[in-house]
Amino acid sequence: MSVSHLYLHSPFCSSRCGYCAFVVEVDALEKRDAYLEALLTELEREEHRLGEIETVYLGGGTPTLMRAPRLERLLAAIRPRLAEGAEVTIEANPETVDRALLESLRASGVTRVSFGIQSFRPHLLAALDRGATPEQGRAAVECARSVGFDSVSVDLLMAAPGQTLDDLEADLQDTLALAPDHVSWYELEMKPGTSLERMGAPTADEDVAADMYRRTVSALEAAGYRWYETANFAMPGHECRHSVAYWSAADYLGLGVGAVSTVGSERWRNASGVDRYVAALGRGDDPLRHRETLDDDTRRRERWMLGLRLDGPIALSWAGPPDHPDAVDRLVGAGLLEASNGRLALTREGRFLQNSVLHELMEYA
Amino acid sequence: MSRVEQDRIRNFCIIAHIDHGKSTLADRILQLTGAVSEREMREQLLDSMELERERGITIKAQAVRVGYTAADGNEYQLNLIDTPGHVDFSYEVSRSLAACEGALLVIDASQGIEAQTLANTYLAIESDLELVPVLNKIDLPAAEPDVHAAAIAELIGVAPDDVLRVSAKTGDGVEDVLAAIVERIPPPSGDPDGPARALVFDSVYDQYRGVVAFTRVVDGELLTRAPLSGMLSGARFEAEETGVMTPWSTPTERLGAGESGYVVTGLKQIGDLRVGDTITTTARPATEPLPGYRDVKPMVFCGLFPVEGDDYPALRDALERLALNDASLTYEPETSQALGFGFRCGFLGLLHMDIVRARLEREHDLDLLATTPNVEYQVTATDGSVTEVRAPADLPEPSRIEKIEEPFVRCSILVPADGVGAVMGLCQDRRGVFATMEPIEQRQQLVYDMPLSEIVLDFYDQLKSRTRGYASLDYELLDHRESPLVKLDILLAGDPVDALSLIVHRDFAEQRGRALVEALRETIPRQMFEVPIQAAIGSKILARETVKAKRKDVLAKCYGGDISRKRKLLERQKEGKKRMKHLGSVEVPQEAFLSVLSIGEGAKSGAKQ
Repeated sequence: MSVSHLYLHSPFCSSRCGYCAFVVEVDALEKRDAYLEALLTELEREEHRLGEIETVYLGGGTPTLMRAPRLERLLAAIRPRLAEGAEVTIEANPETVDRALLESLRASGVTRVSFGIQSFRPHLLAALDRGATPEQGRAAVECARSVGFDSVSVDLLMAAPGQTLDDLEADLQDTLALAPDHVSWYELEMKPGTSLERMGAPTADEDVAADMYRRTVSALEAAGYRWYETANFAMPGHECRHSVAYWSAADYLGLGVGAVSTVGSERWRNASGVDRYVAALGRGDDPLRHRETLDDDTRRRERWMLGLRLDGPIALSWAGPPDHPDAVDRLVGAGLLEASNGRLALTREGRFLQNSVLHELMEYA
Repeated sequence: MSRVEQDRIRNFCIIAHIDHGKSTLADRILQLTGAVSEREMREQLLDSMELERERGITIKAQAVRVGYTAADGNEYQLNLIDTPGHVDFSYEVSRSLAACEGALLVIDASQGIEAQTLANTYLAIESDLELVPVLNKIDLPAAEPDVHAAAIAELIGVAPDDVLRVSAKTGDGVEDVLAAIVERIPPPSGDPDGPARALVFDSVYDQYRGVVAFTRVVDGELLTRAPLSGMLSGARFEAEETGVMTPWSTPTERLGAGESGYVVTGLKQIGDLRVGDTITTTARPATEPLPGYRDVKPMVFCGLFPVEGDDYPALRDALERLALNDASLTYEPETSQALGFGFRCGFLGLLHMDIVRARLEREHDLDLLATTPNVEYQVTATDGSVTEVRAPADLPEPSRIEKIEEPFVRCSILVPADGVGAVMGLCQDRRGVFATMEPIEQRQQLVYDMPLSEIVLDFYDQLKSRTRGYASLDYELLDHRESPLVKLDILLAGDPVDALSLIVHRDFAEQRGRALVEALRETIPRQMFEVPIQAAIGSKILARETVKAKRKDVLAKCYGGDISRKRKLLERQKEGKKRMKHLGSVEVPQEAFLSVLSIGEGAKSGAKQ
């Protein structure tokens, strides 16, 4: 069984954002060379699992902090394995890119850039500890477009502390004005261990958060974007194929600290800690890994959890039976689900209540 | 063991308010008399149950014997009979008092007398006990021993110099307490040669030994192996073992007149030898039993239901076992449309209810749902028959009710002068009828006659919060009085939920209903559908609130790195849902069934305007 989706993690950041609970390393830029060597070593060790690579995702952290020469080496290492028309995405913070870097990435085979904009409102950017100004965000998107990437995507946040519906409306207008090919718009999750959570920042009111979500969906749809996943919107043909692979429960290989791989019934997560990671690979060992075996029921339940995120129907022949088939009629009656020919699809209203519907259909224990 | 002359015996108990240091003083006495070595000393040894230690209260009475060599060079036998400190357990106090000739009245030197202490002090005086007043915690900076000594002296009619001053914490002055016990408390005065009479002041059931009775021998003696009988129950048994607690159980050949100890009876049911019975010998039986106690009747009732229906047999077994050692706990099967099979349980009060519930959950590993507590109503039907109603669901149709009577209590509240207005307002809101007010120490004692049903909700919390914690409360059952009471039903999504029904005074029904539906709206999480909550009397809707439908329920993001994490989040969410009760299509959290206890004061005080 060969894997065709590859994730490469770069943990470095110049500062930790207020809402971030990811595996990142701040003030550790001097470790980048050693880290790159280790990452390339892990790639070599795992290469036997890879077939033709359909999608690559360079995530972080802030992958662009690896700078052009290192990214070029990394991209060169995977290039021979890329399938024709492969999608290669890199995440970028606007303040970390310039034309030269973007041109280098484009030349090295990156097809898609995803900018972490989060908001165009200065007071919200400050509240989220983001380093870029709204102008830097706009400039980065324009620059990427002029360099000739196939797709330019932007990430934005809603339900941030202090954000009003007017703030959201303004962010929607500013986003649409930039006309990105793809938009990811997440509700801010107050995660334990983040500085926002430690400061006791207020969580958004349930009704306001719902209003924001519904408003975002309708505004982006009205502008021609397809609401193809819970929090993702794309102009036709610009869906992120790498993410769709996750939501389709495909196998994927994740390399780097904190990266997760799922191959068949095996899932493993590399432990955090750049030094530990570098040392293990330097010794010729696997990095420390937390392993999990996924039994058939777990995989079936994950298919439902992931599949319901997408706008297309779920084929029972693919997902397997729901745990509570009796709930289907009830949900159809309530206008949340549509059923036909062995396929189930959430209605538009059902998509807003996706998680509730999932709990009606499935057991998670 | 040799026969101890009665004049070398002292039986005493300690009367104290919660936190005034009774247990610490008891510990110190055990240490000082050498009954317990430093090494063996556990904090607050007499409060042996885990729950008791956690809450800092004593529930069951116990007796401990220590030896003490007084200044006169003689060795005395001191029997310390422990008393509970909470109003719910005041009947246990009267049991302890009847086994003693004297009591230490322990008062916090910074707090002064509290209502329960006062009530128990009066009980002690009525029982002709010699009181030894002790001011504790004199080491605290806030202590005002002179002020409180004068007040106590006046209250019980002694000279201020007779009020002992100690710090049980540091041990300072505890020696004087022991001396005072010997000097001031009279020895027992029963007839050592008469037919045996021993008062049972507590009994516990032991799986291996049967009923173990804690008893105070008044006349005659109880010998190991002697055939005995309970004068009230008629039960016959043999003293398989007699002994004393030192504080560990220590067998003795006999228990003589004036002594306190235990008798292992081998009886299989606690009902065979109840608290208050008199033990005598069958060889030479006494003619008259000792004065017993009034029957302990539960005053507060609630339904207890297993969250998992499968646990019903386990709940029944657990209640059976608890009731073996707790004569005041009653239970009978109850069926609720909403909650399934469970038991309607009777308790002495809210604390007792909490403790029983906690023990069921903790010691028997049960997940329980408790309904709103209520009192017992006497309902006279139009045909003249009288029934006792312990659950709102059992109230007959209004057309078949002639009258409903509810229990009233005499409620005594001690409060500083600046809190009198607040307390009076609260009592009036709760249908209290003013009886008297008089100064005690620097405070006022307010006495109200109140429906017990008004107290079992959040009265105590309200009292504390309105007086910044300074008021203290005691109450005793008075009588039953007729009241215009109605059944208030709660409907969820149009269906009545029997477990949420309440019996309320007609004039308060609308306010209670309004407050309750509001509390429920805040407790019940949003569902996929809108859920109307209504309060109604019969078909008349008094109040309505709506739990809005969920408008968004999604997991914000889920990529390859967090699939397992999100799946685990779903598992946690599912666990939360399992703890909810499913009423029709509505998921109701367990707290909802106690919502009436959390009704805000604003709603209730509406009566004033």
